[in-house]
Amino acid sequence: MKVRPFTSRGYVISIIVGLVVWAVVAAVAVGVGGRLWAWGSAVQVRNVLALRLEWVMTASVVGSGLALAGLAFQALLRNPLAEPYILGVSGGAGLAFILGSLWVSIAWSPVFGFLGALATVAIVYAISQRRGRLEPYTLLLTGVIINAFYAAAIMLVTALAKPEQRGDIALWMMGNIGAFGPQWTLVVVVGALAVGVAALFAMLAKGFNLVAVGEDTAGALGVDVGRLRIVTFVAASLVTGASVALAGPIGFVGLICPHLLRMVLGPDHRRLVPAALFFGATFLVLADLAACLWEGATNRALPVGVLTAMCGGPFFIYLLRTRWRRSAQLQ
Amino acid sequence: MRTRARSWAAAAILAALAALAPGCGDGAPSAPPAGGDGRPLRILSLTPNVTEILFAMGLGDKVVARSTYCSYPPEVQALPAVGDTLQLNLQEVIRLEPTVAFLITRRDEVPRRLQGLGVRAVPLQSDRMGQMVQSIRTIGRETGREAAADALIQRIGADLDAVARRLQGLPRARVLFAFPMTVGSSRIMVAGRGTFVDELLSVAGAENAYPETADWPTVGPQQVVALAPEVVIINATGDDAPPDRIQVIRRAWDGLPAVPAVASGRVHVLTESYLTIPGPRVGLAARRLAETIHPDMPPEGPARTEGGP
Repeated sequence: MKVRPFTSRGYVISIIVGLVVWAVVAAVAVGVGGRLWAWGSAVQVRNVLALRLEWVMTASVVGSGLALAGLAFQALLRNPLAEPYILGVSGGAGLAFILGSLWVSIAWSPVFGFLGALATVAIVYAISQRRGRLEPYTLLLTGVIINAFYAAAIMLVTALAKPEQRGDIALWMMGNIGAFGPQWTLVVVVGALAVGVAALFAMLAKGFNLVAVGEDTAGALGVDVGRLRIVTFVAASLVTGASVALAGPIGFVGLICPHLLRMVLGPDHRRLVPAALFFGATFLVLADLAACLWEGATNRALPVGVLTAMCGGPFFIYLLRTRWRRSAQLQ
Repeated sequence: MRTRARSWAAAAILAALAALAPGCGDGAPSAPPAGGDGRPLRILSLTPNVTEILFAMGLGDKVVARSTYCSYPPEVQALPAVGDTLQLNLQEVIRLEPTVAFLITRRDEVPRRLQGLGVRAVPLQSDRMGQMVQSIRTIGRETGREAAADALIQRIGADLDAVARRLQGLPRARVLFAFPMTVGSSRIMVAGRGTFVDELLSVAGAENAYPETADWPTVGPQQVVALAPEVVIINATGDDAPPDRIQVIRRAWDGLPAVPAVASGRVHVLTESYLTIPGPRVGLAARRLAETIHPDMPPEGPARTEGGP
């Protein structure tokens, strides 16, 4: 494998390139999605601009958070199919968020989302590891089962909830860049989290690279694999829980984005971490723009989570048929 | 003497309605209707019963947008639909530039969001008959049509009164009001005490067979047998209204012969959607319920009744 040298200059360049690409796409999404040229009065333009800006920023921070979490899970679990949604982490965050918002307080439910995500990671990890080593098959199956369990639990909560709350829950579970909600504050919090986690992962990137080669090798080269794991899992859970609190469980962004980036940039996490921050944002902004154009054309809202899952399912199968075999042979 | 208590309740509702409508307005538009800030009035109605109230008050031509579920009177279907309080197409709302929005929701994000777009959001309530009347007054105040509001309240009171008068001296029947069971489930949603439909039942000469104060509780077949209603009214609307669905509903009820209403053939499937809409047609709903529950009630007198089908 050809490893190109990577310096701090490399970081600066990739951050600038990522920022420019995201900013251009976001500006196009604000303009095209809002059909800014079609309005009669300045007040209308201002209102639409404010709305579109809010939704594009929501999509950006959620996309960033999920892409970074997916990248970290794939690196640390040495599994190309790991992703917050597939591992059940999003589901755990979702269940805890719903429980928190129904029976405690809507203001504290993001905290519940984080705790749900963290607990799920701990459960999945505890079940699928054997003497500190992760079984790739067991890991995915555990995720499948945890997801099924959470789905049942969410159905139970829905059945017990008041009829007028059921619509809310069902809609939220589809994953929405919502029309309502406590938006800007949470957008800022999730955005700060995503940037913070990206900075943390950038510092850990070398460790990710070594773990990808092999945990024993990484250990032999001085990486404290246990600590790396804990720090990464907590950070990834935090950003997943926050993203889910903001937009519901949006699936497969954490799967699609890191893989597309690897195809272009190669396996070096020092490149992948800043790229995931911006590309995750760009990707979900584009998905939200597609959902917005659909709504404009049909007057029927399309939850963006449904769209990403529709694209993510086939992509997962593609990965299963290609990458999975290769990595399974490596084990 | 529970029955007596219930007829007192019906009398109390009518009295409350009468008290809320001081003086009979002529219903004609008073001044050129305008929003509070001088802009021409443009109304967004996000709830079916509010849309009906607006049209009954003669404000139909001021309504510029409706919710997806508003379908009566028929001319509202020509208006653009902007979703509902769960999913609202805000860009469409901006395009239509309403000045005031009437809505019923427990989510305060919705009025907050509309206010942010410069739309005066007026939250209303209509879980009880009294709240509905209050909502009509609020709409009258917000649109400068107090006289039309008073007239509508008066008319509703008169409609309900006419039904109650025809029922004088008749015994009150124990009635269970339910929605059809969903496919694959034997549980049904019934009107609890204290709901708007419960109030309608008491006007229509019935006592709610469901004994507790509850907001549309769900009950199973065993509980229905235990409640032992003399009459069952199933409100099958929308997807449940076609004849084959009604057949299925009837067959399911025939399987409960232990229920007095089933044994005496007094299970009635009504397809009118207005029975549960707290709007201008409540008098019509009360009459429909009364004539179903008391087929022997005296025919309609010369008193005027209004409302569409």
